[in-house]
Amino acid sequence: MRVRLAIACLLALTLPLPAAAVTVATPAGSKDVFARGDLLDVVALLKLAGADVEFAPAAGSYNAATPEHQIQFTPGGALAVVDGRLTPLPGPLRLVEGHVVAAQPTATALLAPLGWTLKGTAGAPELVRVAGGEQIEVSVVRAPTGTTIVVRGTKQRPKVTASQGSVALQFASPVALLRPVTAESELLGGELRENTLTLRVASGVEVAGTYPLDDPPRFVVRLGAAAPVAPVAVPRTGSVVVLDPGHGGEDQGAKGPGNELEKDITLAVARATAAHLQAAGIAARLTRDGDDAVSLTDRTALANKLQASVFLSIHANASMARGAHGAETYYMSADASDPQAAQAAARENASAPPDTVQLILWDLAHVANLNNSARLARDVQERLNALQGIRDRGIRQAPFVVLTGATMPAALVEVGFLSNADESARLAAHDVQDQIATALSEAIVDFIRTPAPEASPSPSAAPTP
Amino acid sequence: MTPLRPIVATLIIAAVLGVVVFLAAHRRPPAPPAPAPAPAAVPTPVPGKLVLFFPGDDAMLHREAREVPELPAGELPRIRLVLDELTAGSHEGLAPAFPWPATVQAVFLDREGDAFVDLAPPPADVPAGSEIEVTLAYATVNSVVANCPGVRRVQLLFGGHEVPTLGHLDLSHPLAPNLGLVAQ
Repeated sequence: MRVRLAIACLLALTLPLPAAAVTVATPAGSKDVFARGDLLDVVALLKLAGADVEFAPAAGSYNAATPEHQIQFTPGGALAVVDGRLTPLPGPLRLVEGHVVAAQPTATALLAPLGWTLKGTAGAPELVRVAGGEQIEVSVVRAPTGTTIVVRGTKQRPKVTASQGSVALQFASPVALLRPVTAESELLGGELRENTLTLRVASGVEVAGTYPLDDPPRFVVRLGAAAPVAPVAVPRTGSVVVLDPGHGGEDQGAKGPGNELEKDITLAVARATAAHLQAAGIAARLTRDGDDAVSLTDRTALANKLQASVFLSIHANASMARGAHGAETYYMSADASDPQAAQAAARENASAPPDTVQLILWDLAHVANLNNSARLARDVQERLNALQGIRDRGIRQAPFVVLTGATMPAALVEVGFLSNADESARLAAHDVQDQIATALSEAIVDFIRTPAPEASPSPSAAPTP
Repeated sequence: MTPLRPIVATLIIAAVLGVVVFLAAHRRPPAPPAPAPAPAAVPTPVPGKLVLFFPGDDAMLHREAREVPELPAGELPRIRLVLDELTAGSHEGLAPAFPWPATVQAVFLDREGDAFVDLAPPPADVPAGSEIEVTLAYATVNSVVANCPGVRRVQLLFGGHEVPTLGHLDLSHPLAPNLGLVAQ
């Protein structure tokens, strides 16, 4: 009896185990590849596609290389660097029993730059060379003249059909997408089916024009027909000032040792500043006038919508260095502001003379705008420095989100450190808040009423590395 | 009762075991490649010096020179070394660059000289404050660019994802070094 039991147990062990491999059909024959459920070994697949794949221990990443392409990726992430460009993957890469595995869409996205794709099911995948067509990729260039969609890698002039919410590009010869179309700006996504690339765009967006470009070959779709919106180069007296009390709602911002909240202090200072400005005959609007959550981009958008003459974001600081104290004022980094987009747009639109002229005008306006932002930051900081008990931390440049995209002189002021117990207690006092508000309003009034100097180098140019 | 029964049972067990071993050997895929293969050759360690940036008590970034027993020649190992030394903290009493025990998950470097540093996601209770954000971003960017000639900009990733911002700074693009934040 015991012998029969032992035999039964051993026979049970011979029953099928969960699949640890799938057979992948390739042009060179069938190959076994590690798999776990729907997850496939992407390193093995990339090797089957002809790539040399190595793990770089120092970087913690894998590098798949062919003579033409290079793909870097890491287990645990959902990003890859494909030919030097950071590319989101449809899903995460995981490490299972020493294998980097991913679901079929993610594996397909990694194989696409090499000219391969996966067909079939996860249980019976087929590695297929993309039929000899062009390998295209879609990117977005934003500029004051509007958004431009660039389809790189094609010499064709596809037939373009626009309808509400989509633009279809019908190619005469086969094309393959190097990587999935990702949403950016007015482009919401896209799919390629049978040589027709359908791009989903925001409602109300129209095709303003299409044209091919050479070297490298690409096809450009310009969206919208809006005239360029140049930033305000010279402050306009009589228009509105937008004050932005930092944080709000669930976002409390920094917190002082006595539970002083940044969102409360910034709102109090902003309200008092607005009152002082209005007393001086200058209209002021707040991006929030209560304990409300407002996104960073909506704050700047309000200022742009109102065509404000000044945008000032008010914050209180915090630091790991408990001794840190004082006020500082930021304005936008030159290297992180929109001229990058303008330059990229200029490159893409190199054969479109009207756009180039408009971009040059926009760029000149932007330089003047940056200089005016520096002047605004300096005026604000000088007024704060005159207050008793505030240490001058100077004016600086950094790419704050809330300053990005502002089309008027814009600055962000940190009125003090809540992480410093003494300063936190001072900032919570109403009389100190009013002193700061007076200083800020005087700086803004000076800025608006003093004519902008002729175009000159920024008083505090971006530091050179 | 017969003395043959134990022998038969043993033979059956051995045969079944053989079948199991055979099936197992033909079911498994080839041995997986080790994720971290050993380098082909061990180069002679070359001592070197790094310049790292940490926040001081004034919340400005301060330079800290650090000798290391080996300065890797390759860009990626060197970036990793800089980050390991930075996350390990200051040897001269400066404040930590990161307000949490940051760990580096991966490093990428593209052909344009943009490095992508993938850090483990920050905990939910990270103290808010633009200075904290500015410090951790530019301590990293300045340190990597100062020590790695092939890197001109650095983008921070968290948990394998692009993070547009931690609340203040635009982190959706690589950042160039900012020496305006460094104490003179």
